[in-house]
Parts: sequence; C-alpha cells; structure tokens
Amino acid sequence: MKSTKSNITRRRLLASGLAAPFVSMMPGVLTPARANETVKLQFMYPVGVSGDINTIISGMIADFNATHDGIEVEAIYAGSYDNTEQKVITALGVGEPPALWLPINSSLQTFLGLDALEDVTEQAKSDDIYDDFIGGFLDTAVSDGRLYGLSYQPSTPVLYYNKDAYAQAGIDKAPETWDELLETAKALTIRDGDELKRWGLIIGGGWHDWMFEGYCRQNGLVPWEKDKVLWDRPEAIEALSFWKTMVDAGCMAPASTWQGSANDFMAGSTAMLYHSTGSLTNLRKSSPFEVGVAFMPKKKQFGASQGGGPIMIAKNQSDAKKEAAWTFARWMTNTENQAAWSRATGYLAVRKSSWQQPEMVDYLKEVPQAEVAMKQAEFSGAFLQVPAYSRARDSLKSAIDRTLAGEIAPEAALTDATAEVNREIARVLRRQKS
Amino acid sequence: MTDVIQTAAMPDTATARRPRWRKQLRENGLHLIMLPLALLWLSPLIWILITSLKTNAEVFDQAAGFWPDKLNFSNYPSTLSVAPFGTYLINSVIVTTTILAGQLITITLAAYAFARLTFPGKNLLFTLFLLQVMFPIYAIFLTNFVTLREMGLINTIPAMIVPFVASGYGTFMLRQSFRQVPSELSDAARLDGCGHMSILWHVYLPLVKPTLIAFGIISVVTHWNDYMWPLLVTNSESIRTLPIGLGLLAKADSGADWPRLMAGTTIVVSPLLLLFVIFQRRFIDSFMHTGVK
Repeated sequence: MKSTKSNITRRRLLASGLAAPFVSMMPGVLTPARANETVKLQFMYPVGVSGDINTIISGMIADFNATHDGIEVEAIYAGSYDNTEQKVITALGVGEPPALWLPINSSLQTFLGLDALEDVTEQAKSDDIYDDFIGGFLDTAVSDGRLYGLSYQPSTPVLYYNKDAYAQAGIDKAPETWDELLETAKALTIRDGDELKRWGLIIGGGWHDWMFEGYCRQNGLVPWEKDKVLWDRPEAIEALSFWKTMVDAGCMAPASTWQGSANDFMAGSTAMLYHSTGSLTNLRKSSPFEVGVAFMPKKKQFGASQGGGPIMIAKNQSDAKKEAAWTFARWMTNTENQAAWSRATGYLAVRKSSWQQPEMVDYLKEVPQAEVAMKQAEFSGAFLQVPAYSRARDSLKSAIDRTLAGEIAPEAALTDATAEVNREIARVLRRQKS
Repeated sequence: MTDVIQTAAMPDTATARRPRWRKQLRENGLHLIMLPLALLWLSPLIWILITSLKTNAEVFDQAAGFWPDKLNFSNYPSTLSVAPFGTYLINSVIVTTTILAGQLITITLAAYAFARLTFPGKNLLFTLFLLQVMFPIYAIFLTNFVTLREMGLINTIPAMIVPFVASGYGTFMLRQSFRQVPSELSDAARLDGCGHMSILWHVYLPLVKPTLIAFGIISVVTHWNDYMWPLLVTNSESIRTLPIGLGLLAKADSGADWPRLMAGTTIVVSPLLLLFVIFQRRFIDSFMHTGVK
C-alpha cells in the first residue's frame, strides 16, 4: 500500500470529510433571532435542596414575567453551587455574563475580585431593604460596607436530635453549652462491647468546615477577614480541641459525608446531627421518629455562619438591564414571595415582615422547628468570604480530618492550614492587582 | 492444543464411564460460576429499581426490610414532573446518535489515512491526534466555549455535538485495527479495480466491525451520561439532556431524594439497556464471526 492512485478518491475523501460537520449539525435548531423592545434578563440559579425547587423558581419567574411588562427573565438552572459558579465565571470570561445569578455567599470576594458585581447599596437604602431584612442575612452580601446582592435562600447549620432516643435515655432537653453537648452525646452513645450501635453525635461531613466556623463564632471569633483566615487563633484551636475530645470520648464520629450523615440520622445510627436548616423538610418527612431542632450549643455565645446565597447583579451590562435586574431581585425577595418560598422549601425567609404573614404564622404552628433556625439567624454571619474560598475550605477540612483521625495535634494542623491558605490568598490578590 | 487435551482425556474415559451428571456438570459447570457473577452484576440495577418503588421513609428504616412494603409507582410521575424528561430524552437521543454518526465517519477516514496512506507530516499529525486523547476534557472547556460562541452556537443542540465529532481515541483504536488487516486483502481489491473508498467499505470496515462496535458502545455511553459540558453550553430547557434532569434530584443541601433519584436513573438508563438487549445477539455475533484477529 505504498503508492496511492489519487484521481477522484482523494477528492472524495476530502469531500466526505468536509461533509461530516454539516451532517452532524443537521438536526440542530438554531435559536430564533430576537428583536423587540423587551429587556431580556438571564438568571442562573442552582438547585440545592430539592428537585421541586426548579418548578417553584420557574413558576415564580413566570409570574414575574406575566406581571411586568417590558422585562422578560429567562430561568436557567445551572446545577449545584459549584456548577453555577463555573457557568457564571465562564460567561464572565467571554464578556457576556447573565444579568443575575444566585451563588453561595462565600463566593462574594471571588466575584468582587473579577470586578463582576454591581453595587446596589444606594437602591437598597432608598428602599426598605436595610430596615426589613434580617441583619445576619443582609450581611452575607456586604463587603467594606457596600451591598452587592440581596440574600435569597439563606440557611444555617442547626442541631437535629432524635426525640425517641432522648426519651429512651431520659434526656428532656437539648444541650445548650458545649459541656452539656459532650455529656448528652456520651449518654446517647450505645455500644455493645466493642461494637458501636449508635453514635451520640455526627457533624455532617463535607461541610464540617462550615460547622467549625460556627464553633469559632460560638467561642467569640470570626475566623476570617476579607484577605486572610484566622484559624490559628486560640479560640479556633480550642474549638478543634473540643471536637477531638468528643471523638476521643467515643461519642462523636471522626468522619462522615454530607448525605451519609443525614442517612445515618434517619436510620437511627446517630442520635444527634449537625446539618443544614435546608434539610429540615427532608429529615422531618423521611425519619421514622420525631425530629427535634435546637440551636447549636454555645461556648461564650450562640453563633452560626450562613450558607445559601444572595442574588447578585452583573456590573458588565447596560443600565436598562441593571435597572430591570434590580426590579427582579427586589421582587424575588419581597415579603409575600419570601414567605411562600420559605414555606415551600425550608429555607429561611429573609424579611422580618415575611415571618409575620398569616400563612407563615400558621406554618410555624405546624412546624415549630422552623422557628429555631430563624431565631438562630440573629447570631449568625457570613461564611468564609475570602478569595480562593474553595481551596481554603479544602485546606480546613483536611486539617480537621487529620486532627480527628489522630494524625496531628489541633494547634499544628490549624497553624499549617492558616499559613498555607493565607499564602494562597496573597497570591490570588497579587495576580488580581497585576 | 485440542489434540493434546483429547489424547490426555482418552485413557480416562476408557477406564471409567462417568455418570451422566458429571458430564452435565462438566458441560454446564461454567454456569455455576456465571450465575452468581450475573447476579452480582445485576444487583445494582435491581437495587435501583426497588429503591425507586419505595417511600422516602422506607429507604432508611432498617426495620423495613429489602422489599418495599407496597409498590409505590408514584415516584415516577413525580419525577417526571420535576423536569421535561420527554424533551430531554429526545435531545439525548439526537445528541448521542449524531455524535456517534459524525465520529464513525471522521474516525474511519482518519484511521484509514493514518494506517494505509503515506503523506508528509503523517507522524507529526498522528502525534497531535494522540495528544488530544491526553488532554482532560475539563482543560479545554473554556477554549471550546469561546470557539462555539464565535460560531454562534451557544445554547443550541449543535453546541453539545460539534466538539465531539472527531475523536482522537477512536482514530487511534481504529488505526490499530486497520493495521492488523493483511495488506494482501486490500491489494487484491485494488487489482479488482477498487478505489480507496471501495476498499475501505468492502474490505476494511467489515473486518473491523468489533472495533467499531466497541468504540460505538464507549462513545454512546460517554455522551449519553455527559453532564458538565451540556450544562455549561445550554440554557433553555427545550434543548437540554437527561443527565441535567437527573442532577435536579441529586440535591446538594439536604441529601439526595433517593426514591425519585432512582426513578430518574431508571428512566435514564433504560433506553441504553433496552438497546443493548435488542442488539445483544448482533453485538456478540459480530465479535464471533469476524474472520480476522
């Protein structure tokens, strides 16, 4: 096969090669050209709690479009929080960001570093945002005193407990302090010889760094500033040492996964669980026993950090779009919509006035557990808003895991992680400046 | 090889006549091993199916046992209500089959060129093809995205197809198969007056069917299950694919909604399974009847 007689065969080869992309494009439908006066907005959102949320959000947006002439919002489901962030950053990278998006609040500094966010402080001040939003929720979108978004679906970790297990062990109320937590967990742990039958406590893995920040806050420390982390402070080290004490006492699982820990709780393999308020509906409905909810126990004070996220508005778009985007964000967070959203999903309504709506009052009578989470919000703040937060979270989780596995002392683990993360943050900031 | 076994077995049969069951055991003995293996392979599928018929509380209740108390088919309609799975299914079929068709054309032609033609820069070009295999897809997401945007294809079905119509891996696989076909066969065809296309069609392709089928299976499964790329380049529900619908049920904040997630999984995998069951004989036949090793 050395010589190739190339008359028409090569041409045919090339021709069929050329045809391939066209053949493959045939069934595709190109989007129809759009040309009218309506302001079109894209809104990218993740689905964090339940598939039904997709239907709820689409329904809300359809309502909005029906009642607002001249604005048309396109709802774009963008996967998990991480997927959403990736999709938005890709769109920012090519200079065509969506008008609004809903990321996790930790990504605030990441998006500010990309100069992607519209400052909405003035609009918010001339509105009732500062008066009516619950303080802890509003703060999740604040940097240097400026507001960059409207909190939409906040959550905090809370302590879930198995009421049947409490009754069996003769415990009548949830622990309020760390010391009580340790005692309660010990009392609830069941062992048959060496074999463990039930843990006293599991702290939901995968997000245990989020819970850990809650422990730091309970000990009087916000463990980060906007350009560094402070995990090497004595308060943080004391918190991790306390975790280690619970693990050494054999009443807390040294490691778990996010979904696995919820499963363990529902299956009765642990009597207490630290998990998101977002899990309330699921845990309540799927557990074959009655579920109790309590504040996370305190050391010096109660404390928690916020999960969930605010609706953010893109800076790089026309003024008409920005104005329409504000109208939409404002509408999504108005009193009635927040009340309906909270009832449907288990997220916490961000407005004080939402909680006074009649249907919310009824809801709280039916599900008193929901109120606990709302009250805890008073003691909560934003979660790890530093640049490169994703890598920072990984380092902290790894430090915690290694400590609980007994590989390293709490102080050494946290000092190392702090140094490593602060180096990384400095590097990111340097790159942004240049 | 067979001769050796026969002569070794001869004296044995001469001295003692074996009972019937031993003969049967010898002939069907493999089934004893295969059956548990088949069950092992089936167990995840069975588990998926059973979980999809349970209630949420039953999944974690240890007292509830393996079988659902009562077959609870309502998970299926409630899964279908989360997203337009019908549309997703059609889109998945379009995307997957178009990619496969495109790939089969490009890899066949490319592999033939690399295996049997000589042209300047062939080795360099082939190395570049191999390089494409080595890049993880995530590393080229952004560049692909930019390219597609310039082509005006973002948020269209072709956006999920175009980046995959050529496959370095497939080209490599097929080139190796083509090189194993004895060149006498193609020389004979050439003497009979065949051009390149006829040789490819009548000589090479029938002989490498197993490779084509193996590649087809890999390609279909990969693109059927692809999640991140379709999520990135599409915005409208009307053009999205099945795995994105599945992602809606694997909720991150509160633990997965297992019964519905499993119902969704059943919906997503069943077309593939059905396809395999229907074409199973053909798949296996083609492996057995190919004349060339």
